[in-house]
Amino acid sequence: MAVPVALTVDQIYHRCPPEKLDFESTENLEDLELPLGQDRMLRALEFGASMAVSGFNLFVLGPTGAGKHQLVKQFLANHAAGKPVPSDWCHVFNFQHSGKPNAIELPPGDGRTFRDDMNDLISELKTAIPATFESEEYQSRIQELQEEVTRRQQKGLFAIKEEANANNIAMITTPAGFAFAPMRNGEVIEPEEYETFSDEEKQLVEAKVEDLQKKLQQAIQQVPRLRKEVRERIHQLNEEMVQLTLGGPIGELRGKWEHVPAVVTHLDSVCNDVVEHAEAFQDSETGAPGGLLNRYRVNLLVDNAETRGAPVVYEDLPTHQHLTGQIEHRAHQGNLYTDFTLVRAGSLHRANGGYLILDARRILTQPLAWESLKRVLFSGEIRIESLERLYGLATTVSQQPEPIPLNVKVVLLGDRMLYYLLSHYDPDFLDLFKVEADFEDDLDRDDGSYTLYARMIATMARASGLKVLDRAAVARVIEHASRLASDQKKLTAHDRVLKDLLAEADHWASQAGEDLISVEHVQQAIDEREYRASRIRERSLEQIRRGVMMIATEGSQVGQVNGLSVFQIGATRFGQPTRITATARPGKGQVVDIEREAKLGGPIHSKAVMILSRFLANRYAPMGELSLSASLAFEQSYGGVEGDSASVAETCVLLSAITGVPLRQSLAVTGSMNQHGEVQAVGGVNEKIEGFFNVCAQSAGVDGHGALLPASNVEHLMLNEQVREAVQDARFSIYPLSHIDQAIELLTGMEAGVAGADGVYPENTFNRRVADRLAEFAEVSRKKDDDGANGSGGNGGNNNSDD
Amino acid sequence: MVTTTATTDKPTVSIPAGRVLILLDGSRLSLAALEAAAEIASARNAEVLGIFVEELNLLRTAGYGFAREVGGSSGLARPLEATVLQARMQALAEQARRSLQHAMARRGLVQTLKLCRGRVAEEVLNLMQPEDLVVLGRVGWSGIPGTRLGSTARALLRQAPGDVLLWAEPRPRRQNRVVVLLNHDQGANHRALRVGAELARRSNQPLSVLLRTSPEDDPSVAEDMLTFLQREGLAARVRRIPVASAGAAVRAMQEEGAAQLVVSRTCSLFADQGAEVLLSELNLPITVTP
Repeated sequence: MAVPVALTVDQIYHRCPPEKLDFESTENLEDLELPLGQDRMLRALEFGASMAVSGFNLFVLGPTGAGKHQLVKQFLANHAAGKPVPSDWCHVFNFQHSGKPNAIELPPGDGRTFRDDMNDLISELKTAIPATFESEEYQSRIQELQEEVTRRQQKGLFAIKEEANANNIAMITTPAGFAFAPMRNGEVIEPEEYETFSDEEKQLVEAKVEDLQKKLQQAIQQVPRLRKEVRERIHQLNEEMVQLTLGGPIGELRGKWEHVPAVVTHLDSVCNDVVEHAEAFQDSETGAPGGLLNRYRVNLLVDNAETRGAPVVYEDLPTHQHLTGQIEHRAHQGNLYTDFTLVRAGSLHRANGGYLILDARRILTQPLAWESLKRVLFSGEIRIESLERLYGLATTVSQQPEPIPLNVKVVLLGDRMLYYLLSHYDPDFLDLFKVEADFEDDLDRDDGSYTLYARMIATMARASGLKVLDRAAVARVIEHASRLASDQKKLTAHDRVLKDLLAEADHWASQAGEDLISVEHVQQAIDEREYRASRIRERSLEQIRRGVMMIATEGSQVGQVNGLSVFQIGATRFGQPTRITATARPGKGQVVDIEREAKLGGPIHSKAVMILSRFLANRYAPMGELSLSASLAFEQSYGGVEGDSASVAETCVLLSAITGVPLRQSLAVTGSMNQHGEVQAVGGVNEKIEGFFNVCAQSAGVDGHGALLPASNVEHLMLNEQVREAVQDARFSIYPLSHIDQAIELLTGMEAGVAGADGVYPENTFNRRVADRLAEFAEVSRKKDDDGANGSGGNGGNNNSDD
Repeated sequence: MVTTTATTDKPTVSIPAGRVLILLDGSRLSLAALEAAAEIASARNAEVLGIFVEELNLLRTAGYGFAREVGGSSGLARPLEATVLQARMQALAEQARRSLQHAMARRGLVQTLKLCRGRVAEEVLNLMQPEDLVVLGRVGWSGIPGTRLGSTARALLRQAPGDVLLWAEPRPRRQNRVVVLLNHDQGANHRALRVGAELARRSNQPLSVLLRTSPEDDPSVAEDMLTFLQREGLAARVRRIPVASAGAAVRAMQEEGAAQLVVSRTCSLFADQGAEVLLSELNLPITVTP
């Protein structure tokens, strides 16, 4: 197999040709209306925002810092502007059930008017009703009533008195009541004289007295009934007077609010209530009790007077109370009390008829908030309940406001992981959030996208109040965007990273006293950022330089190769070579993955080692027994090892250990391999190559060094300038691999060799040496078996004994 | 209607020399009247005679074995026994004595309590001199509910040789005038005027004289009256009102803003049936002069 040609500088870096950018600086570029390359997400938003059916709420998923929040807010603001303004809502006192305030829906802006109207009415009640009660008319009518009752009382008593006098009996007033006694000429007869009366006369007198007493008793006992009657009539009069006084203002309000029947009904209830409590208004000194008047007030819950279009509300602290509203309490002399005026709206109320934007992670971390949101969305109405009631901790009497019908579109923002976890574990989630708006991480990089991307950069710079970028600076940003996307054919769409880069470049331009951001400021921003994050990378390089971490970059060695690995710490990634070693001796076809045995290897790594062992067996001992006991290890690796990107290197080092052919240490290898020996793509190629380049540069220089990577990874290369210069000068070579044989040839300098039709590799080829060596191993094993000296279980999986 | 107003500053009123008689029966209103009487006596530096009368008719009634007292509020009948009644009367008399002592001692006045047995009105008339003032509550014991004028008050109004003050507890009002009501032909009735002037001065209130006048009457009477009042040094006005029903006169007094009333017994007002009741319904302290 032919050795691959080293890559040219154009292949390892996709330049942004300045001629593709048709402008001098970003000053001449128009703002982008819509975000670039997010068509799928925008269509989802458009659909979700317009879809009227319930349950079609949105979940906007994308990585943090992708600019989801700003984009969604902007999109919804535009979308909502053309929609109708939703109704105002207010709570009013419920005269039937005082604990359950009624909710009234009003056309937008009318809420305030209604509240003010009711306040005016209260002021009027305070003065007009006492004035009515003070009026001469009222006073004289009350007097008439009382006099009439008095007359009726007196009439009864006078009649008895008359009757008594007519019968010569006196009705005497005693300190506590009345008594009867016989009289003559207006004077009570002396009892001694009465004794002289005949029995007949006495009998007559006494019978009459008895009769009068009974009548008197009856008359007096009528009094409470009369008093009750007068009370009732006074009440009736009060009602009548209040009704007349209220007639004007209430009638006016009724006319004004004709178009809202609920208000008219409420006004009637208020009128009835005032009439019922007419007596409370009589005291002109202190006026009606405040508690009574407060019941006529209006608690304006949702005021859309200033709202233009449908509301778009972002709740930055989505607790249960902030979402569904709460019932506040007022402390008064050590007691807490509440009424319907202390009911406060939540963000769901404010967003009703529009859009509510929430952070998924935040709502999930607030106790009960997620459950409350789901319950509200399912029921289609907002019911204000305190947490302690929900938990059943408080049983005190509180307000239970009438639920308000809900028509809101909830837009959740969150990362993908949350979306998939919720979809999997929350059975309600997909019922309620049917529209997923998935943010694109990368944009396609092609000729058509340059101008648009430049406009996006211009928009960002302008929005953040940054300096103008010149053409070269924009080109550098675009190139870096490809590096961030780790793809020559892609550009990152990550909002935050780009904004930070621009802001930093702006800072360096300011430091340099420039009015324009040029390419060196962008480069400085990239370099500074890298430098700031370089402490661990530098430390690692130092370990290699001082020989603590053993990495050979010169000469050739048997059973030893430079693999490449990537470390991710926080937001930074860097690559570094790792020494991979192998041993081989006759055995039972075992390849021991020491990492796995030591429980330092992950499952993907184990899988890769299994693939390579099957590749060996299939390739070099297709018909016979693979008599091999080999081991593989990542030297000086004390953390875990995961991934299959080392499988090409592992295969090469194992074959070197079997054959004893040394491998060039000036080359580093990355790439995964399948069972047929084909090389497959891996991740982090830029960091890996730059990592090895740096190690070489700090030891004896990069001349004659190089790296091997899967051919399919070539289009992911966006290498830094130092590497590019070395490649340009042919000092550092990067080889694309498509088959394991190419790696063997590059590392050993030997021809790999292709098996003939008989399955035998040609003489003096590397593969022939492998096959021959394995045949020798098989021979040795057979002899051992024949000697019959090994009855003790043979070579187990972890047999590494040096006998 | 003609209104003449006079204001001068010459206090030269003669103080009546008679006693102040106060009728005590232990009722709530009589205690209020006691306070008013004490005030007057203090102003006049007059001797005070308390009168407590044990009603003969009541005592006799208690002597009947079959007599029952029917409760004024409850309507329940219970035996009326002479001994129990005696004890109650004594307790009331004792209470009256204590109240009288208390009210007068505070003001440093001489007081005597006269206990009598008989008919109240008669006993008072017996004790009363023409220059005396008798003070009593408009009604006594609860009696018939809503009664505005008791029988004793009525009798004294008609027969007393001296002034009678029927005490009422007025509701607090804005009115603040002393109003004297006279007939035109009583223009020279200086007794009523003098009592009015004294009241006005004592309570620091302006005085109004309402004169019931026919169109053909001599207008100079009012002017003479004003001159007299000016001499007395009072802020006063004299109004002539038409001779009409008692009700009209009462309304005129109300309109004038009366807080206290002075009426002469000889006023033609009393010719009307029910004038007394109308007056008492004003619920104002009324002084009736002979």
